[in-house]
Amino acid sequence: MSASNGSISSPYSAALFSGLWRENPTFRLLIGMCPPLAVTTAVKPALTMGLSVIFVLVCSNLVVSLMRNLLRPHLRIIMFTVTIATFVTICDLFLKAYTPEMSEILGAYVPLIIVNCIIIFRAEACASKSGPLVSILDGIGMGAGFTIALCILAGVREILATGHLFDIQVMPRAFVPWLALQMPVGAFVTLGLILGLINVLTARKEA
Amino acid sequence: MLSNKLKYFLQQSWLLLVSSFFFGLLIAVTNAALSDRIEQNRIAKLNVLTKSLLPAAERFQPVEAEIEVQLPDGSKEKATIFEALSADGHRVGWSFNAHGTGFAGPVELVVAVDADFRKIMGFSVLASSETPGFGDQIKGDYYRNQFINAPAVRLTLAKSGDPTAIDAQIVAITGATVTSQAVVDILNRFVTQIKDQIQKKGLISNVGK
Repeated sequence: MSASNGSISSPYSAALFSGLWRENPTFRLLIGMCPPLAVTTAVKPALTMGLSVIFVLVCSNLVVSLMRNLLRPHLRIIMFTVTIATFVTICDLFLKAYTPEMSEILGAYVPLIIVNCIIIFRAEACASKSGPLVSILDGIGMGAGFTIALCILAGVREILATGHLFDIQVMPRAFVPWLALQMPVGAFVTLGLILGLINVLTARKEA
Repeated sequence: MLSNKLKYFLQQSWLLLVSSFFFGLLIAVTNAALSDRIEQNRIAKLNVLTKSLLPAAERFQPVEAEIEVQLPDGSKEKATIFEALSADGHRVGWSFNAHGTGFAGPVELVVAVDADFRKIMGFSVLASSETPGFGDQIKGDYYRNQFINAPAVRLTLAKSGDPTAIDAQIVAITGATVTSQAVVDILNRFVTQIKDQIQKKGLISNVGK
């Protein structure tokens, strides 16, 4: 592991890049698993969800980082939750105003970002201990890692379940869509296979 | 003693109190800035859906008359009804929102009827959380087409029959009887009650029997 991180020189680049692979929340830490299972039937809603999470994560990390010296240990969780809920509500309003059809597809999953543990995990593990710049970079890195994971899952499922990607036909006409991949079972199977593949790859690298 | 407790409380929670106030303010400002746009989106969606049911309609005028619908729990609710007008101001139909409980949660519909309230022109689903592949087929043509041109009277649900026949009998979706029944119930409740009151208030000059 340490060999691949030899090039990371400053805490800033470490904050930015660790979420992409080494500590990827979806594929490596397996936290916040509700959106990867629920909103990955197509790439567009997955991308919208990912961008929403990046926005909330960056804003909440910044605010938590700015008030980190004022936090009382026994009241910190409620402070995190209030902060996160505020930005999620704002994000939800923006989606409803500017992309009503995406807001409809995502439905309850946008308000549910409030209880997504990636965000509270980063508030606890990073933002409440680090300065604003590191916290923002960490939010971008973790959010991007989450978004990429969501898009990979959604891409596989959308192509195999509908033959389309971003609503454009990509598979040959003779392709028979695998409808099961659009159902919840498709999310579990795809996620399991991708996790298995990643484990095989990293095991080989470490060996 | 009391002041000591209060002091302790404020010492511990001032950050939460202050930040709650500012966060609330932030949400209020965002909401004030965007609520018009959100409302417009909702109306635009309703108009697009209703227009697909009443192609001749050019604009929709809200009906001012107090028309109430009794819900299954006994409560009454003011119905949202629109008069659909063609480009030259002719009435081409009525549309109204209807809602009820489906299999997995609330089902919201927009229903259109013809100008004399004799025929149902169809319905569209505004919101529902019915099971994909089963209950959500109420959005599909097989089920919805059965309502187009059906008489605006009490409808019944049948397990089998001819889905293409234009009559008051609706053939259920296989595997989704509860949802099929829910939609029929919602339509029965809203169509019959609204029709009665519109006729009583004399909003339709030519009352169809």
